[in-house]
Amino acid sequence: MSELYQALAQGLLIGATYGLLALGMGLVYGVSGVVNFSHGDFISLGMFMCLALYSAFAMDPYVSIIITVPLMTAIGALVYIFLIRPMVGHQFLMVVQLTLGLSLVLQNGILMVFGGEPARTPSFVESKLIILGDTVLRLPHIIAFVVSFALAIGLYIMLRATDFGRSIRAVHQNAHAAALMGINVGRVQVLTFALGIGILALAAALLLPGTPIQPNMGLRYTVITLLVVVLGGMTNFVGIMLGGLIIGIAEAFGTIYLDGPIGLLLPYIIFVAIMLFRPKGLTWSSAR
Amino acid sequence: MLEIDNLVAGYGGVPVLREINAKIAAGEIVGLLGANNAGKTTLINSLSGMVKPISGRILFLGEDISKLTPQARVELGIVQVPEGRLVFPEMSIRENLLLGGINAHARKHRPQQMEKVIGLFPRLGERLTQSAGSLSGGEQQMLAIGRGLMAEAKLLMLDEPSLGLSPLFVQYIFEIIDKLHADGLTILLVEQNLNLTLRHARRCYVLERGQVAAEGDAETVKNDPRTRSAYLGL
Ligand SMILES: Nc1ncnc2c1ncn2[C@@H]1O[C@H](COP(=O)(O)OP(=O)(O)OP(=O)(O)O)[C@@H](O)[C@H]1O
Ligand SMILES: [Mg+2]
Repeated sequence: MSELYQALAQGLLIGATYGLLALGMGLVYGVSGVVNFSHGDFISLGMFMCLALYSAFAMDPYVSIIITVPLMTAIGALVYIFLIRPMVGHQFLMVVQLTLGLSLVLQNGILMVFGGEPARTPSFVESKLIILGDTVLRLPHIIAFVVSFALAIGLYIMLRATDFGRSIRAVHQNAHAAALMGINVGRVQVLTFALGIGILALAAALLLPGTPIQPNMGLRYTVITLLVVVLGGMTNFVGIMLGGLIIGIAEAFGTIYLDGPIGLLLPYIIFVAIMLFRPKGLTWSSAR
Repeated sequence: MLEIDNLVAGYGGVPVLREINAKIAAGEIVGLLGANNAGKTTLINSLSGMVKPISGRILFLGEDISKLTPQARVELGIVQVPEGRLVFPEMSIRENLLLGGINAHARKHRPQQMEKVIGLFPRLGERLTQSAGSLSGGEQQMLAIGRGLMAEAKLLMLDEPSLGLSPLFVQYIFEIIDKLHADGLTILLVEQNLNLTLRHARRCYVLERGQVAAEGDAETVKNDPRTRSAYLGL
């Protein structure tokens, strides 16, 4: 029984951050139709930036975000303007190839600078535990959960109640009509992509404490994000957060209850099972 | 107010519009007529900046605007109510109206402007939180016009506002158009419906395969044999 609670709690906590990762990807898809296959490698980049800042200034990852978030947001804007935008409107597969190429460049760039050995970035909260009955929770997981949910709610409010958020939704629903309103569609696309990458810098810091990092781990995050986005229905806010929780829980159950490769495969098995019965994802109503 | 000077425009370098010349004076209501595929929407989109000119100029209030972005033109008050209405279906009426006034020029006056639009279309005011996608075609047309007015239009360009509406709604929408005209708004009315347009517009242009086939006041255009041939495709 305690194992069950443990798996559930751990999965929920990490799942919220997975949901946040996927919201970024869903927003970008919604306004530009771009699926970014280097998504996970930008998370790696964020984590290795934290590592570099720790090595140089002994900076805690939670503090590093002051630098990594603006920096990665700017990188995101530049990547969109100079690499992705020239491809948008051409073949969908060309954009996919481009982002896959970007993934290799990021991975190998990180490998060149940091080497291939697994590295850790310590944080002051890393080994703090919170014990609730039989369930042991790690403080970094709780921080990740709370911050991810707070950000998701913030994003939701931004989308509903600000002009920028309404512009994003307008571009998603009808880009031509959005342009007729005087919305600069190109600008909304750049800013959304930049915002998506900036969120990854934050998520990187949230996922980092206690996690050994390697240059080639980006693909795993990309795949997890894709699972969540597809489960959630690409642009459905609530669906995506729910998908994040489900994938997080599946992963926790897999590693706690099942040994070896089957355990690691559990999220994918659950994903396939859900998609068999709900080919359009989890969402009940249409995408908002 | 608006002057189109030898405009050639099209898609991918292939001209659809060939050497269009036309004028709209301030306060005027001008009809743009033509059969299917004559190029009416292409012309209105050229004025909005959605279609780039190949050659020729567009002057608005004496200034050449043919190189300006669509945003810049909306800010100047050149506002289009598109064919098929194109409301944002998953947003509420209120959000659609707010988006109508999102341009830098109109943004500051949105509350007052919203009052005016609701005064004109009480039906929209009664259901501000309802999603636009759930409205009937006629209500969506009201919303599309309201959204255009939110932008503080100086020149309002309506692309086939009667399309797909019941006769009752068509009549209602054209009463609104007359009212806006009476209040001093300059209007470009794009229509396929010949008789309807001739009744409401003082002056008309008839497009045929991307060229102006006939022009003049409603009576002249009505009796011009080229108008008939443009419609029958002779
Ligand atoms: N986006 C586009 N790309 C390429 N060609 C287009 C495009 N839009 C319109 N055309 C072509 O331009 C010509 C004029 O079309 P347009 O839509 O301007 O006509 P219209 O007068 O508005 O017709 P309708 O009454 O059907 O709305 C047509 O031959 C059409 O096929
Ligand atoms: Mg048309």
